[in-house]
Amino acid sequence: MRNAINKSRYGYYFVAPFFITFLIFGLAPIIYSLYLSFTNWDGFTDPVNIGFANYERLIHDSFFFKSIFNTFIIWILSVIPQVSLALALAIILNERFIRGKHFFRAVFYFPHIVTPVTLGVLFFLIFDWQTGSVNKVLMELGIIHAPVNWFNSPWLSRIIVAMVTMWQYFGLNMLIFIAGLQAIPNELYEAAEIDGASRWKIITKITLPLLKPVLMFTFITSIIGGLQLFDGPLMIGNGPDNSTTTMVMYLYQTAFKNFNYGYGAAVAYAIFFIILIFSLISIKFSKLNKVEQ
Amino acid sequence: MKKWLAMILSVILMVGVISGCSSNESTSSNANKGNKEVEGKLVIWTFFGQVKDMAKEFEKKYPKAKVEVKVFPGDQYKTKLLTALQSGQNVPDIFDLERGYIGQFVNSNFAANLSDMGGEKLVKDYVPYVQELGRDQKGDLKAISDHSSPGGFWYIKSNAKKWLGTDDPEKIGEMVNSWDKIIDLGKKVSKESNGKTHLISSYGDVYNIEAYHMDPWVKDGKLNIDPRWKKAYKTQKEIFNNNVDAKLDFFSAGWGNAINDGSVVLTAMPAWAGFMVDNKGNKSNGKYGIAKTPTGLYMGGTYRAIYEKSPNKDLANQFIKFIASKEWQEHNLKTTGNMPALETVYKDNLDSYTSPLFGNQNILKPYYDLVKDIPAQKADKYGEEILSLWRKVAGQGIKDNANVDKVISKFKKEVKNAFPELQVD
Repeated sequence: MRNAINKSRYGYYFVAPFFITFLIFGLAPIIYSLYLSFTNWDGFTDPVNIGFANYERLIHDSFFFKSIFNTFIIWILSVIPQVSLALALAIILNERFIRGKHFFRAVFYFPHIVTPVTLGVLFFLIFDWQTGSVNKVLMELGIIHAPVNWFNSPWLSRIIVAMVTMWQYFGLNMLIFIAGLQAIPNELYEAAEIDGASRWKIITKITLPLLKPVLMFTFITSIIGGLQLFDGPLMIGNGPDNSTTTMVMYLYQTAFKNFNYGYGAAVAYAIFFIILIFSLISIKFSKLNKVEQ
Repeated sequence: MKKWLAMILSVILMVGVISGCSSNESTSSNANKGNKEVEGKLVIWTFFGQVKDMAKEFEKKYPKAKVEVKVFPGDQYKTKLLTALQSGQNVPDIFDLERGYIGQFVNSNFAANLSDMGGEKLVKDYVPYVQELGRDQKGDLKAISDHSSPGGFWYIKSNAKKWLGTDDPEKIGEMVNSWDKIIDLGKKVSKESNGKTHLISSYGDVYNIEAYHMDPWVKDGKLNIDPRWKKAYKTQKEIFNNNVDAKLDFFSAGWGNAINDGSVVLTAMPAWAGFMVDNKGNKSNGKYGIAKTPTGLYMGGTYRAIYEKSPNKDLANQFIKFIASKEWQEHNLKTTGNMPALETVYKDNLDSYTSPLFGNQNILKPYYDLVKDIPAQKADKYGEEILSLWRKVAGQGIKDNANVDKVISKFKKEVKNAFPELQVD
């Protein structure tokens, strides 16, 4: 018995397909776009090496900074209601005496199955200035007298984009929370009930503290997902004064609309670093969390 | 034994993965080996489904030729085409280009010079603006279209009678032959209908109608803002603020409904957009009329270029010849209603061509007048993108009732950011 683990090389053959495809379709483009970020290339002629010029342009690019700002605003506007709603629904649907909870779990999960593009178009139509159903309903009810031009206001547009994301993900987070809730041992609840704790006390003293790791998990995944926000807002457009242009939308516009692949690649790398920083921060947080436990 | 099984399994997996990515290459090979006859195999890439009918007609005429049409609908076509051209792998012999991005492609080395292949003769009788768009900056012909895409004011006849007092296209055309007249008439319609009916769909119609009459956006590497844009902006503001328009964006859902329900009296739209009319069971036959817009309007257009390194250039050229011919364009007009590119086809059918939606109106007449009115301008790399920036910034300004100078300075900032190589003062 030299080693308890069998290090037979056949294992490598089995993992090889993934690594080969990753090298070809993952790593190679990543390195190629790093090269592109040092060039000026419109796709029609050969790339011209221009050194760090793209990065210099980037640090003076107010449009890019605005897109970072937009992304964060939209992320915050979506993640707070998303997590709170998911948590509230998870706690309610985890109650023993609720009827038809399987049905509701499935229904709340539905938006996550729909593609973000579809959701974007849907919200765009619902909030249309002249023909959207939201304005029609509000006017019928007499709440407003003239239709509201939702997409003409930077903040309303951002809120709508955030709503699309919220609506898409709250069901998924709810399921994760329910899984977390079910992992909490029943004895704790029983003990609390015997001691005469109120429902509210049980939630704040038992449920939430024990759910903290799951909360952290959803929070972290939502950061990375939120920073890459693209397809939903693309359907809704740039918004007034580019107020709903996210980082990835800006990347898409530079590279594929203005045919500036070199600068687009530089933007991609800047986004990569922003996400990297946030991932590192979140990893740090989750480690702290583990130590606490 | 087990080891062998594992080996075989992993090899199968790997082969599966690798072969999954490598198939589907080398489709068009060994077709043309110096044949002078019209035979061989041609591959066409397009975003437009009707090219299949075109290929069928071509095959009917030249039974020995085979045309494979690959349709990639949607926005991704351009990126897919460019990737193929860059890599030089699996490139079609003929590729379609949309008006929106034709500028970059005709000015690249990917498109063969059709002037050297007898193209000039084909476009001799073409509508001027149609043939000019297929030329590169040097003036060489790089792409050819088989149609023109004029637009006009579409209206429901009964609706026009109600609001404008007539359904005669000539009279209506005269009532709206300037923006001032449109604004006055629009105010009246809005007032008489209590704001329920509007003369036109959107202030954006002004861009659609005027954009290609303006000077190009870029001259000698410098941003050039035609002073007429300022006037257009003022007109648009007046249209917007006086409810002349229904504030329905071009090709939005509400815009499409308005064509059918008549809440907009005059819809400026291209000839090819007939599919927007709900004509279930032919209920809309004879319901519509077309009047002239203040100036000539065209929208979109599909052009065909030959790949410079195609091994089937002769056959591809034969195909281009076919679509530029009177024979095809007349057939196309009669079967699909797509307007011809050849002026001769227009002239020959002016008094005879009718289309079911428009009853007995000779719709080629207004279209022909409009199409001739459009100046011949070359497409460059910037035009369409800068126009869309202008639409974005000016549209915002109109909604905020902003001053034109503020709009222009914002616009300059956007242009400078998108195209830093341009000189912007």
